[in-house]
Amino acid sequence: MGRELWRRLRSWEGLLAILLLVVLAFNVTRVPNFLTVTNQINLFQLGIEKAIVVLVMAFVIISGEIDLSVASMMGLSAAVVAALFELGVPVPLAILVALGVGAGFGLINGFFVARVGLSSLAVTLAGYVGFRGLARLLVQDRSVGGFPAWFTDLGQRGLIGPVTLSILLFAILAVVAAVALHASGFGRLAYEVGNSAPAARFSGVPVARVKIAIFTLSGLVSALAGVLMAARLGAVRASTAEGFELDIITVVLLGGVSIFGGVGTMLGVLLSTYLVLNLRNGLVIAGVTGNTQTGIIGLLLILSVLAPNLWERGRAGLRRRRPEPSLRAPPVAPAGSMPSRAATE
Amino acid sequence: MKRRRFIAGAMCAGLLAANVGAGVLAQEATPAASGAAVEATTGQDVKMMLLPKFLGILPFDQANQGAQEAAAELGNPTAFDFVGPTAENSVAGQIEFMTNAPTAGYDVVMLSNNSGDQIVPSAVGAQEAGTKVVTWDSPIPNGEGESVFVAQVDFTETGKVMADMALSILGEDGGQFAILSASPDAANQNAWIAAMEDALEDPAYANLELLETVYGDDQSEKSYEQAQALISKHPDMELIMAPTSVGIVSAAQALQAEGLCDEIKVSGLGVPAEMLEYTQNGCAPEFALWSFVDLGYLTYYVSYMLATGDLQGVEGETFMAGRLGEYTITQDPTRPDVEALRVLMGPFTVYNIDNVEEAAG
Amino acid sequence: MSDTILRRVRPEQFRELILVVVTLGLLAFFATQIPGYFDPRSVNRLTVGLAIPLVVAVGQVLVVLTRNIDLSVSSIVGMVAYVVGTLLTRSEALSAPLAVLLSILLGAALGAVNGLIVAYGRVPAVIATLGTLALYRVVLVEFSGARTVTTADLPDWLNDVPSATLLAVGGYDLRLVVGVALLTVILGQFALRSLPFGRRLYAIGSNPAAARTAGLPVERDVFTAFALSGALSGLAGFLFLVRFGNITVTAAQGLELQVVAAVVVGGVNIFGGSGSMIGALMGVLLIEILQQSLLRWAGISEFARDAILGLLILLAVTADAVILGRLREAWVRVRRRDQERAQAATAGVGGATHGA
Repeated sequence: MGRELWRRLRSWEGLLAILLLVVLAFNVTRVPNFLTVTNQINLFQLGIEKAIVVLVMAFVIISGEIDLSVASMMGLSAAVVAALFELGVPVPLAILVALGVGAGFGLINGFFVARVGLSSLAVTLAGYVGFRGLARLLVQDRSVGGFPAWFTDLGQRGLIGPVTLSILLFAILAVVAAVALHASGFGRLAYEVGNSAPAARFSGVPVARVKIAIFTLSGLVSALAGVLMAARLGAVRASTAEGFELDIITVVLLGGVSIFGGVGTMLGVLLSTYLVLNLRNGLVIAGVTGNTQTGIIGLLLILSVLAPNLWERGRAGLRRRRPEPSLRAPPVAPAGSMPSRAATE
Repeated sequence: MKRRRFIAGAMCAGLLAANVGAGVLAQEATPAASGAAVEATTGQDVKMMLLPKFLGILPFDQANQGAQEAAAELGNPTAFDFVGPTAENSVAGQIEFMTNAPTAGYDVVMLSNNSGDQIVPSAVGAQEAGTKVVTWDSPIPNGEGESVFVAQVDFTETGKVMADMALSILGEDGGQFAILSASPDAANQNAWIAAMEDALEDPAYANLELLETVYGDDQSEKSYEQAQALISKHPDMELIMAPTSVGIVSAAQALQAEGLCDEIKVSGLGVPAEMLEYTQNGCAPEFALWSFVDLGYLTYYVSYMLATGDLQGVEGETFMAGRLGEYTITQDPTRPDVEALRVLMGPFTVYNIDNVEEAAG
Repeated sequence: MSDTILRRVRPEQFRELILVVVTLGLLAFFATQIPGYFDPRSVNRLTVGLAIPLVVAVGQVLVVLTRNIDLSVSSIVGMVAYVVGTLLTRSEALSAPLAVLLSILLGAALGAVNGLIVAYGRVPAVIATLGTLALYRVVLVEFSGARTVTTADLPDWLNDVPSATLLAVGGYDLRLVVGVALLTVILGQFALRSLPFGRRLYAIGSNPAAARTAGLPVERDVFTAFALSGALSGLAGFLFLVRFGNITVTAAQGLELQVVAAVVVGGVNIFGGSGSMIGALMGVLLIEILQQSLLRWAGISEFARDAILGLLILLAVTADAVILGRLREAWVRVRRRDQERAQAATAGVGGATHGA
C-alpha cells in the first residue's frame, strides 16, 4: 500500500503533480485574486491555443517525429480567415477554408515525411518558414480586424457561464486525445511507430499512413487554434502566434513525452500544460518580467529531469557495494525513454 | 500649491474599488477642462505598470529612468513595476500582462504597444475592470481601450522630418532612397512611413525617389543583411532611411564595413549615443530623435494624474507635468478616423555633427 | 552515372556531390535573375555571411553525430558577443588574441554546462539545451542592464577585422573571418576522419548502448562534443561582434534553427551516427545562398520572400533525397548484376572475371 503510493509518486506524472501542487500552493497563498473566476478563466484563455496544439503535438512526438510548423500554421490559418473576410467571404466559410488549408498542408508535411522519407525536422522547418511566409503574403503589413461580433464574442466571451468556446473545445479535445492515445487502436499504432518504425513495419503496421494521419491532424488542429486565436484577439497580423512552436514543444517534453518517440502519457501532458499555465499566471501577476518567466520555465524543464536522475544516481552509488543488476539507467544519449521513467519501470 | 479634485465618473469609481489607497483623497469638485492648468496631487498611492514592447534595449530603459524621476517627484509610495515580455514573445506577452493587470491590482498600465489592434480585447477588459491604459511611444491603432496616447512627436511631422532629412542629405537634385523599417507589424513605424509617403507628394520633394521599403525586424543582423541587399539591388541608391534605432545603426555599420559611406548615406531615427561614430565619419550626417527620458517622465505624470482623478481624460484638459511644463489633452489628429485622445510631447531634435557629441554624453 | 563509379563507392559518399550539384543549379538560376550576381562585391558579401553559421554548424555536427542536439548555440553566440564586446569597451588592455581566447573559453564553459547536464545528468539534449537556450538569454538580459555595445566604444582594430583579407584574386577576397570558418571545417573534418575521438562520435551516435558495452568513454565524449560546440559558438560570437559591432541583447536570436536546418540539409542524420563536416558546409552554403539571393532578387516582393524560401528549402531537401534514392537503387542493381555475373562465372569457367 505504502509502496504502491511511493511508486506512483516516483513516476513522471507523480513528479509533475507534486510540482503542480507547489505552484498552486504558491499561487493560492501569494497571488492576489488567484482563485477568482475571472482569473481562472484568464489563466486558461491566455494559453488556450497553445494548450490545444500541445494535445496533437504529443501524438507527433510520441510517433517519433516533430512538427516545427505548428505556430506558422496557426498564423497562416488566421491570415486565411482575415484575407477571405477582407474579400467579403462570409466568416464561417472562411473558417472552413482555413481548416482545409491546415489539413491540406498537414497532409503535405506527412507525405514528405512518410512517403518521400525526409526527416520531419527538415520538412516542417520548411513549413515553419513557408507557412509564415504565406501568412505574410496574405495580410502583408496590415492588421485585419472588424470581424463580425459573433466571431469575436466566441473567442472572448463565455459560452457556458464564463467558460469560453476555446476552453470548452480544449476540454473536449483533451478527453478525445486521451482516449485516442490510451484506449484506441490508433494510439497503440502511434506508440509502435514511435518505438521503432522498422519493427512496426515488419509487424504489419501501416507506418506511413499512421504518420500521414498524425501530421494531417497536426495541421488541422493548428489551423483550428489559429482561428480561435483570431477570434480571441479580434485582429489578425502576419506575425500571429510567432514563436509558439518552442513553447508548445517544451510543454510536451515537460509532460514526459520522449523526444525519441514511443514514450509519454496524455495525463503527463495535461499536468504539464496546467503547470505551465499556472506558473505563467502567477509570475505575471507577481510582476515578474517575461525574461525571468522564460528562465524559470527553462530551469524547471532541466531540473525536472535532472533532479530525479541525480537522486537516483546517488542511491545507486550507495548500493554499489552490493552486487547490482547492472546498468538500469539508459544510455547517455537516450535512445528510448526518459531516464527517470525508465528507472521506475 | 496642490489642488485636490473630486473624482467623478464610473471609471474612477471602479478605480476606487480597485485601489483603496486612492480612496483617502480629500476631494473637491471642479469641472474638467476648466482652462487653467491642473497640478498633480502628490503623495497618492497608485499602483502602476510600465510595459514597453520588450526589455533590454536603450530607448525603453531611458523611458524607465524618466518615469522613475517623475515617480520620485510625485511621491507615489508604491514603486511602479517596469516589466515586459521577451523580444520574441512580445505580442503574446504584452497581452498576458494587460489581461492580468486588473487581477494584479494595477490602477494604470503605461503601454508602448507592440501588439497592434490585437491588444484591444485585453485593454478594453482592463478598462472595464477599472485599470486605465495610457499608451506611449506606440498607440493602439484604433484607439479602443486606450485612455490617452502620450505621443513623443506628431506622427505626421515625423514623415515630414524624414523627408526633410532626405532632401538635405541628397540635395536639391534629389536621388533614390530606400526605407529600412522594423517589422511589417510595427504600428508606429508603419504610421511614420505612411506619413513620409504623404509628405513626398509635395512638389518640394519631387526629386526624391522612394525605391522600396524592407524590414529588418529590429534585429541587428537581419537589418544589416537587408541593408547589404539594398546596396546590391539598387546600384544608384544614395540613401537608406531607417525609422528605427536598431535599423539605423545596422545600416550604418554595413555601409562602413564596405567603405561605401561616401556614396551612400544613412538617416532616420536613432539614439545619439549609438550614432556618434557614424555621424562623425559621415555615414549618417543627419538623424533625428526625441528624448525617451522625457517621454517616460511625461507618461508617468499623465498616468498618475488620470489614476488619482486629477485628470478625467477628456479633450481640452490642461495640466502641468513637472519640469516639462504645460500640456493639453486633444483629439489625436493623426488618427482622424477613430476616437482617440493625445498628449503631444515633442519636439524632434535633429542631430548632426554639431550637436551629436553633446547629446551622446 | 557509369557503373564503374558505382562499383567503387557507395551512394552515401556522393551525398556532398549531390549537394554541390543542387547548389550549383541554384547559383545558375539566380545568376540569370539577379544582375551582377557574380560581382566580386556580391560574392564577398555572401562568403562573409557564411562565416558565423558555418562555425556554429561545425560544433553542431559534433553534437548531432552523438545523437544529441544543441539548441542553445544562439544564446551562447549572443552572450559571448555581448560580454566580450562589453569587456573590450571597458578595458583597452584586452588584446586581440586574448579577446578571441576569452570568447572561446566563455563559449566552452557554457557548452560544458550543457555537456554536464546531458552526459552526466542524463537529461535528453533537447530538454537540456531548450532550457539553457532560455536561461543563457535571460542571464544576458539581466547582465546587460539594457545597454547596447556600440562600434564607437570598441577598439579600432576590431572594426578592421571584417575587411581583413587573406587572399585576393581579381577583387574576390578570401576574408580572414571566412578563412577562420573554413579552417574550423577542415579541422573538424580531420578530427572526424582521423582522430579516435571523431571515430568514437560516430560509434556513439550509431548505437549508444553498444558503444558503452564496447567500453567507449561515452559520457566523456558526449561532454567534450558539447564543450566543443560551445567553444565554436564562442568563436562565432566573436565573429558576430566584429561583423555587426552593435550588439543588443537579442543578438543571434533564431540562429539555432538556421544552423540545425543547415546541418540537416547537409545530410547529417539528426538521429546520430552519420554525416560529415563537408555536408554541413554545403548545407550552410545552400541555406545562405537561398536567403541572401532572395533578399537581392528584385522580382520578389518583400512579403513573398519567406513563402518562396520555405518552398525552396523543401525542394532542395527533396531533390537531395530523390537523387540519393535513385543512386542507391542503381547501386543495388549494379551490385546484384555483378554478383550474379560472378556466380555465373564461378559456376562456368572457374573464376576468371572480377570487378575492376
